[in-house]
Amino acid sequence: MEEFEPKIIGFFCNWCSYTGADLAGTSRTKYPPNVRIIRLMCSGRVDERLIAKAFTAGADGVLVCGCHPGDCHYQKGNLNARRRVAGLKPFLEAIGIGGERLRLEWISASEGPKVAETVKSFTQTIKKLGPSPLKKEAE
Amino acid sequence: MKGDMYIARSPDKETADKAECGGAVTALLKFALESKKVEAVVAVKARDGNRYDGVAVVITDPKDLIETAGSLHCASPNIARFLKEYLDGAFNSKIAVVAKPCDAKAIIELAKRNQIKLDNLLIIGLNCTGTLPSAKAKSLFKEQFEVEPADVVGEDIEGNELIIRLKDGSEKKKDLAELEEKGYGRRENCRRCETNIPVMADIACGKWGTTDKDSTFIELCSDKGADFFEAAIEGGAIKVDQPSGNAVESRKKKDQAAVESAQKWQEKDFATLEEMSAEEKFSYWSEQFSHCIKCYGCRDACPICYCEVCFLEAERGFIPPGEVPPHMLFPMVRITHVMDSCVNCGQCQDACAMDIPISRLIFMLSKKIGAIFKHEPGMDVTALPPLRTVTDQELGQEGVEVTF
Ligand SMILES: Cc1cc2nc3c(=O)[nH]c(=O)nc-3n(C[C@H](O)[C@H](O)[C@H](O)COP(=O)(O)OP(=O)(O)OC[C@H]3O[C@@H](n4cnc5c(N)ncnc54)[C@H](O)[C@@H]3O)c2cc1C
Ligand code: SF4
Ligand code: SF4
Ligand code: SF4
Ligand code: FES
Repeated sequence: MEEFEPKIIGFFCNWCSYTGADLAGTSRTKYPPNVRIIRLMCSGRVDERLIAKAFTAGADGVLVCGCHPGDCHYQKGNLNARRRVAGLKPFLEAIGIGGERLRLEWISASEGPKVAETVKSFTQTIKKLGPSPLKKEAE
Repeated sequence: MKGDMYIARSPDKETADKAECGGAVTALLKFALESKKVEAVVAVKARDGNRYDGVAVVITDPKDLIETAGSLHCASPNIARFLKEYLDGAFNSKIAVVAKPCDAKAIIELAKRNQIKLDNLLIIGLNCTGTLPSAKAKSLFKEQFEVEPADVVGEDIEGNELIIRLKDGSEKKKDLAELEEKGYGRRENCRRCETNIPVMADIACGKWGTTDKDSTFIELCSDKGADFFEAAIEGGAIKVDQPSGNAVESRKKKDQAAVESAQKWQEKDFATLEEMSAEEKFSYWSEQFSHCIKCYGCRDACPICYCEVCFLEAERGFIPPGEVPPHMLFPMVRITHVMDSCVNCGQCQDACAMDIPISRLIFMLSKKIGAIFKHEPGMDVTALPPLRTVTDQELGQEGVEVTF
């Protein structure tokens, strides 16, 4: 059987983690190709609807990355994201999708290696969990 | 003064006779109108005398208040939504409103969202341990009590018993837990509701702490409520005594017993959703949501949903239009938009044409989210929705973790 290759949607903040991912790329740091990155102006743009949409469109996992607390260009966008992610986990758990399929990380523009590490470990987690049950519906 | 307690009744015999427990509530509403402290009262009455069809009404003439006296236990009118939809959320008039704890909590959630103006409201709270679903109540009275529903003139929950009073003055009682085992009894959300005394209202009124049917125990829960109540005493609108220590104690004990019973029901209700494996949960909810006919009843009933142009509407371009059952995004958005603030009023589940246990799920989530953020919906108008509100304290904090 072919190994399951998860599809992960990454919502990355333009100012920090997106630049961090760029840095990882230009430094030729290797990380799994499972993440499709969507660039946002701030992790605070992430709300329930975006995450729900990612899962119903067939994502096996959703990774939200924002600036470290204190560094958000809009002051509290990242803290908003933090609350939403924390609140969505019990919901995903309750309807059988699983809270572990959603992760939040703080990654700054200079943390290229952290992008690689985060993607690696999240891909591992999702591999263990297997395909999202919603994915079958989406297909 | 806020915190004071009284035993109260109406000085007017006609009111006291028609009312549930001495007519203090009706007397207070009458005083509010007559003293011009409010322009209107929102209370509940039996439409066309049908006690199974209790509706919220607006009253401006004190003479009409007598029609609203008495407790309707087989009705759960949506008082908070009524205020918002039909009375401009009290933005343009002063209103006194009667409210069970869930009604009061829903009013507070709408006030947080600027949909109701709390400053213009006087909330007269009623203790409550539950309402019966009206259609089911009729079959309960027929099938279990073997009486004609039209002959029932009053109901009461006392400890473990459901007591009904009949036209001819007689009473019948049955064990409530046994009835609920058989699928009769209170609405599901009421069984698990642990807020029995509406301390978030301005005044909390109830029979607990009294021994007869002729008086009501009152607790003054806000300064506004206290000022109003003291004026009513001064104006001779209401007769009061001091409650004995025993009365205070007995009220507390009854509340505690009701809270314990509610917590047991919560465990039981939530266990039905939690004891499944992830696969089972997913197939259970997929199956439930596949029954949805997209009637929008749950959204229209929910006091937390207030958006002018809702994301569930096709015009927002988010949910694919013209599909029944709707796309999975429909329940996902509806649930996640209200799950940090659900007050367990049960209005969504009552409205659901397909009996999807949405209130059970959303209230369970609201409990879980409340535990994470140390938040209890409906209690304090200054405590804003936790999934929408970053606090100043968080902003100033160093090294905030990704988890809560
Ligand atoms: C459904 C229900 C359950 C209750 N359960 C308890 C209890 O467990 N313990 C306790 O101590 N007290 C309980 N009460 C309160 C108690 O029955 C009396 O209402 C209270 O003691 C005031 O008595 P009164 O004679 O002053 O009220 P009244 O002067 O008779 O006025 C009663 C008021 O209640 C309003 N009302 C009637 N039905 C409803 C309804 N379904 N929803 C909202 N408002 C309504 C009427 O509009 C009226 O304004 C309950 C009340 C209700 C409505
Ligand atoms: S989700 Fe249902 S139970 Fe919760 S507040 Fe809204 S209508 Fe009431
Ligand atoms: S479902 Fe969401 S967008 Fe629609 S009314 Fe409720 S809260 Fe507003
Ligand atoms: S009330 Fe029930 S059937 Fe109607 S939209 Fe809500 S979940 Fe679907
Ligand atoms: S600007 Fe990066 S999280 Fe707000």
